[in-house]
Amino acid sequence: MITRREFLTGLTAAGGFAVSTPRSAASEPSPETGTIRVSSSIAICTAPQLVSEDLLRAEGFTVVQHGAQATIGTLEEVAAGQVDIGISFIGPTIVQIDGGQSITVLAGVHPGCFELFGTDRVRSLKDLKGKKIAVVGLGSSPHIFLSTMLTHVGLDPRKDVEWITKPRPESVELLREGKVDAYMGFPPEPQELRARKIGHSVVNSAADRPWSQYFCCMVAANRDFVRKNPVATKRALRAFLKATDICALEPERIARNLVDKKFTQREDYALATLRELPYARWREYNPEDSVRFYSLRLREAGMIKSSPQKIISQGTDWRFLNELKKELKG
Amino acid sequence: MPALAHQPGRDARLPTIGAAPPFALTTADGGRLALADLRGKVAAVTFIYATCTDTCPLLTAKLAALGKRMGKDFGAKVAFVAITVDPERDTPDVLRSYAQAHGARGAGWAFLTGTPAEIKDVAQRYGVFARKTDRGDVDHTFLTSLVDRAGALRVQYMGVRFDPDEMLSDLRSLLREGGR
Repeated sequence: MITRREFLTGLTAAGGFAVSTPRSAASEPSPETGTIRVSSSIAICTAPQLVSEDLLRAEGFTVVQHGAQATIGTLEEVAAGQVDIGISFIGPTIVQIDGGQSITVLAGVHPGCFELFGTDRVRSLKDLKGKKIAVVGLGSSPHIFLSTMLTHVGLDPRKDVEWITKPRPESVELLREGKVDAYMGFPPEPQELRARKIGHSVVNSAADRPWSQYFCCMVAANRDFVRKNPVATKRALRAFLKATDICALEPERIARNLVDKKFTQREDYALATLRELPYARWREYNPEDSVRFYSLRLREAGMIKSSPQKIISQGTDWRFLNELKKELKG
Repeated sequence: MPALAHQPGRDARLPTIGAAPPFALTTADGGRLALADLRGKVAAVTFIYATCTDTCPLLTAKLAALGKRMGKDFGAKVAFVAITVDPERDTPDVLRSYAQAHGARGAGWAFLTGTPAEIKDVAQRYGVFARKTDRGDVDHTFLTSLVDRAGALRVQYMGVRFDPDEMLSDLRSLLREGGR
């Protein structure tokens, strides 16, 4: 976490923003940098990243999209400094922060994008003991999320289940054929699995507690970018949060946009996803609670070594969010 | 139930985001109105279009009810400005009819139109994006911005589901600040 002193020093150096000026009497300075780099890697649930492009321009930025490579996602691009800000899954983000990566989490976006599907042999999470679970890879978002769920019900993800690593389409087929017992779906997979009547929902993180009470997607920025560009960080976060509101308010338009821009093919699945995800929660839920909750689960799963408090102190900064909650209501 | 995160203290001042984007557009009476003309008043600036059949009328009705609750301050100290996002169709006459049909009457209201370029520019600078659909509707962001007496942008409301009591409280808070 950036200290109060660093934050104020950055503001002063960057924008001529007098430290002694009361915040309420000062106008927001221009961003310290005219360019912001965002990832072109977008999933349906991270649609606010797509919507934010015009809003970032309105905040004074030239937007540069960084093309995600096949082996690297938004989070890795942020950590490497190739991308300044983006939306990432909380589990992998915590793992990266624990590994010393240069990432600062700024806000939550929404809970609820993952859904666990199982065969008839699986009725609850505890039924997964001794079962086969398909994931795209160890360390992938589905693997990390499901590991947190397993530890929450007292199972050890390292010993109590058998992980089968397969590409997504193959994993879905394995579930359909009953050759694996469970598969963690991310949008638009849950919509597709339901439509094709493959498996059944075991845990829906949009509806089932405790998962529905915590963010799964959050805004993360490169730590050096945040430190050097506090005004730009706040402006960029404002664009992302406005975009999040727009996803809640105008799902039909955003679903069409996702198809028009070829991020997905099925408008009906995209619309179902956007309607199901509670984007309006960014004001209500405490993002620190989400980081603490998932850090505890990941520590139990042996996936991180740091305490939740260390993850929070090293990898989060809520100051911008707290200011924006007062400026942007809905 | 978690507490709403944006519940400021009773006496908390609203933040100052920056100078509100200026505009000078055509009123429903055919005159011109600039944001600068509203200096000394608290203004709520929003975006609508007259043939909108779903959300715009709800927003207009919500604001009209708020205007009534402002009492004698509405018009004298508070102005509501509705800018069309469909300037090709929303002539001053069309906007005047829309205002009458939705109860947005009185000196506190201004419905504005302009050239497509003018409207596009002001909408973008307020962070509102509009696009005509194949059906002839206009997809646009519902964003209402509160501007203080000195012309500073203080708070923005997304959508139409906001709490009218909260907006009324913010308008009154800006009135209490007086001129700056």
